[in-house]
Amino acid sequence: MQKTKEKLEIALERHQDSSIKKLQEQNESHQVSRAKLAEGMSLALEKKDQEWMEKIAGLEKEKAALSAQLEEMMEQSLTLFQKRDDLDELEGFQQQELAKVKHMLLRKEELLSQREQEFQQKEAELQSANRGLSEARGKLQALQQQQQEESCRLNSEFEIEREELLLLREEGDKKISELEGRCHELQSVIQQVSEDFQMSQNMVSALEKSLQELQTEHDTLKVQQQKAAVTEEDKERLLVELQKKVFSLERRLQGNLSQDEHLQELLQEKSSLELSLEETRAELLSVRTNHADTVSSLEAQVSKMSCSISELQTLLRHKDDSSRAYRERTDAQIASLEQQLLESSERLKSAEQQVTEKQQHMDKLQGEVNAEKAFLDQQVCLLEQRSQEKASRLEESITSLQADKQMLLDKLADLDKQVIQANSILKQRTEELEQCKTELNSRLTMSTEITKSLEETRRQKEELQKQVGELSEALETSQQELSSISDKLTLREEDIKTLQNEVQSQQVSLGQLQEEAEQLEGQLQQTELNKESQLRSLREELLSQTQQLDSCQARISFLEVEVETLTEQLHSPEVCEEDQNGSVTVDDLDHIQRVNRELEQQLSDKNRTIKQLQQRLAELKRTLQKELKLKPETEAEGKEKSPESRAEKQESVNLDPPPASAPSPPTSNTTVTNTSDLNDSREINFEYLKHVVLKFMSSREAEAYQLIRAVSVLLNFTREEEDMLKQTLEYKMSWFGSKPSPKGIVRPSISGGSTPWS
Amino acid sequence: MRILILGLDGAGKTTILYRLQVGEVVTTIPTIGFNVETVTYKNLKFQVWDLGGQTSIRPYWRCYYSNTDAVIYVVDSSDRDRMGISKSELVAMLEEEELKKAILVVFANKQDMEQAMTPTEVANALGLPALKDRKWQIFKTSATKGTGLDEAMEWYDTPCRTFTEIFKPLNTPRFDYKTIILKLK
Repeated sequence: MQKTKEKLEIALERHQDSSIKKLQEQNESHQVSRAKLAEGMSLALEKKDQEWMEKIAGLEKEKAALSAQLEEMMEQSLTLFQKRDDLDELEGFQQQELAKVKHMLLRKEELLSQREQEFQQKEAELQSANRGLSEARGKLQALQQQQQEESCRLNSEFEIEREELLLLREEGDKKISELEGRCHELQSVIQQVSEDFQMSQNMVSALEKSLQELQTEHDTLKVQQQKAAVTEEDKERLLVELQKKVFSLERRLQGNLSQDEHLQELLQEKSSLELSLEETRAELLSVRTNHADTVSSLEAQVSKMSCSISELQTLLRHKDDSSRAYRERTDAQIASLEQQLLESSERLKSAEQQVTEKQQHMDKLQGEVNAEKAFLDQQVCLLEQRSQEKASRLEESITSLQADKQMLLDKLADLDKQVIQANSILKQRTEELEQCKTELNSRLTMSTEITKSLEETRRQKEELQKQVGELSEALETSQQELSSISDKLTLREEDIKTLQNEVQSQQVSLGQLQEEAEQLEGQLQQTELNKESQLRSLREELLSQTQQLDSCQARISFLEVEVETLTEQLHSPEVCEEDQNGSVTVDDLDHIQRVNRELEQQLSDKNRTIKQLQQRLAELKRTLQKELKLKPETEAEGKEKSPESRAEKQESVNLDPPPASAPSPPTSNTTVTNTSDLNDSREINFEYLKHVVLKFMSSREAEAYQLIRAVSVLLNFTREEEDMLKQTLEYKMSWFGSKPSPKGIVRPSISGGSTPWS
Repeated sequence: MRILILGLDGAGKTTILYRLQVGEVVTTIPTIGFNVETVTYKNLKFQVWDLGGQTSIRPYWRCYYSNTDAVIYVVDSSDRDRMGISKSELVAMLEEEELKKAILVVFANKQDMEQAMTPTEVANALGLPALKDRKWQIFKTSATKGTGLDEAMEWYDTPCRTFTEIFKPLNTPRFDYKTIILKLK
């Protein structure tokens, strides 16, 4: 294996070597050939290059020519495009116009149709109105007919009734006349009857008279009869008594037989008595009979008479009855007739009333009918007028519509004409378009040729462009670098600008601050000037005071000197003239001492005033110092110290040396507050305003009401605004009352008066 | 009852107000504006207004003068330098028409300080004895120590009784605001 392997390796190596050799050889030959080829190729290439260069030059020329051509063509094409665009625009315009015209036409047609519809509607309205009119007329006629019929009917009815009533009246009249005739007849009968009756009554009265006479006779007879009866009774009583006597006598006779004589006498008496009795009886009887006869005769007469009376009475009664019956009958008849008459007259009256009522009713009805008729006529007239007006209006509208129609038709015709014109223009334009198209086609063919040539040139150009592209890439890279650099530069510039802006703004603020500082300085200067003037005046005062003081002191010294001299004098005169001037000198001394005291008092007063003035001076100086202390702060804020102010400060410092008598400077606290007070007065005001407004808003109404004044002072409210605020708060606090309206102060911001919308 | 506490800045008005209301010493900052509190003393309710006393806001005191029953004028007894300013402010205040009927109570405050003036000195410095037609009283107080305030309120209590009678309807459940205003008028 190894052997074979070695062999194989050896073989392989050999083979490799050989192959390498071969390869090297081949390579060499190849390189030689290659060099040759390269040379040739380079030569050929150079040649070709030259050729190509020439070609390129030619091509470039061609290209230039072609590009010129191309430009021309492009111009042509541009003009063509322009024309095309123009054409398109024209077409568009034409179409738009056409569309507009069509649209207008359509609108006009719509309008026309609307007008026609309106017209139709109006016509329909007119017709309906006419119909209504005719209906109304028909109704009216019907109503009139109805009314006429009704009135006729009523008339006829009334006439019938009237006739009936007239007939009734006539009948009643006839009846009345008949009845009156009958009445007359009856009255005549009654008169006859009454005459008969009177006669019979007369007879009756005569008969009654006779009857009365007879009755009186009868009465007298009866009285006689009664007398006779009475006498008869008396006789009968006598008789009875006599009989009793007789009986008693008979019994006495029976008892007393011895007494015959007596008896006889008695018997005789008795018999005589009996005889007289009988006689009286006979007499009585005769009288009685006579009487009875007379009575009977009289009775007979009476009876006769009574018979006749009764007959007469019966007759009378009959007559009476008959007359009464007749009368009754006649009365009844009369009554009935009268009743009938009354009834008939009542009926007549009622009928007449009815007639009058009916006539009134008829009149009324006729009046109503006439009124209604008039009203209806008026209505008819109104309707006719209205309809005429309507008709006239409608005719007017019709005429206007027709005018519109004609106008529209005219417009249509115009539009048609316009359309025709537009069409003709269109045709012309289309012809132009076609011409242009043909031109365009020819141009296009030319352009295609040109494009072909162009494409060729383009191909060449592309190759060239590739080269150019490489170069341009390099250029782009360099440009990119440049742009990046330029970007950086711009950024820097922006930075610079911003910085410049900042600088400017800072300068502006600086200026403002400077201005502020200047203002403050001016203020300071003013205040300092004021203070200085004050100081000067005070100093002057002080000087004057000191001068006064000096003068006073001088006077005092003078006076002292005087005093001394005087004392000396005093001493000397004391020595010399003790006795002479002693009292005088003592007086002088006293006077001088008094003057001295007064002067000393004045001096002390002056000293006091000087001290007070010095205190005031010290105060003023202190305030000035405070302000001066304050000034550097403001200057520090302003970040600029003006030499003037500094000088002034120095001046002021120099001018105002702190006096030794001045009280100790105020405590740091107060100074701080004071400085802040003076410094931030505005700020404090603002803060104060803020605080007050905040409290005003947050507090209860009662407290807020008390704050109104402060708020209104702080915000410069007017009186009205303050009052308004007060009123609103009062309204809020109370249960009643109405919300006050803002009176022109807080009005919504609307400018000018309200203008109507139309 | 409406009471105003007035005085220069740093006199101790706010401290006095809260001393009266809470009974404690509170730390205060300069009052830019005002404080209003209801102080109850012996069942009397006072509405006490403490107005800031800094120079720039002193002109606004007059906005609060209406319907004021009493003024408590606080003076820093130790601040001898500004006593004149205090006096001029007091005089200007007392000349106001709206405060003609107000009672004046002066608190000579900061009596705990060493260099403090005595009440009589303060009264003379403010020119109080020269006042006419004005009911006034001065008290020495120390708001931080809490002395003198009770005496002041005690004195103040007596003239207030008449006002409480007017304000009685306030204690009834349903009071008529307008009648009270009419009464006060």
